Amino acid sequence: MPAKPHRILLDRVSVYADEAAAFMRRRRISRRPFARLYYPHGRSADHAQDSNSGAELFVAAGRLIEVAGPKEKG
Amino acid sequence: MTTVMIQEARARVTVGIFADMPDAVAAAPDRESAEAALAFLTEMSPDLRGAAILGPEGEVLAATGEEPERWREDAAALFAAADGAEEAEVEQVHIATEQGEVFAIRNSGLAAVTVTDRFALASLMLFDMRSTLRRLADAG
Repeated sequence: MPAKPHRILLDRVSVYADEAAAFMRRRRISRRPFARLYYPHGRSADHAQDSNSGAELFVAAGRLIEVAGPKEKG
Repeated sequence: MTTVMIQEARARVTVGIFADMPDAVAAAPDRESAEAALAFLTEMSPDLRGAAILGPEGEVLAATGEEPERWREDAAALFAAADGAEEAEVEQVHIATEQGEVFAIRNSGLAAVTVTDRFALASLMLFDMRSTLRRLADAG
């Protein structure tokens, strides 16, 4: 007996949701810190944390995170 | 070949659009408008922890929290480090750390710096910041 059309649709949506959840999970686990700078005309450049420029950027970012403080509840 | 021609045409048109846009605002927007813009940005971005809007001279027009002076100093340090990385003025900065993410953008002679939770959607965040600055500059 063939599956009802709405079942097929639900299964398809569930598969996409599972894929998206897996992608987000992998992203959370595997993502490393990075510093990315964007210039006019669409050019961008990544700076490694252990480079001189990267280290300065991470220090400056750390200070801003400190001044922002934790997220307010509510 | 067709692609190249389209890209060339696009570049010509885009240059025209940007030539019409002022690089810097004639006068910095007032603090009240900046605070309203910051409140709107905070409302739109659930991941946001803190933010500041800076004027043409780097002065703080609006900031979350109680330390506007620190926002000024730390934002200036971030832009100095970013500009110094390749001896060129940056347009946008995105730094992701274990503790949170920092975004900074210059637009219409103003600048905005935000700190968000980890994994905030960068394109959306930068789009919101850019449109906030543009609206603020138009109003000012």
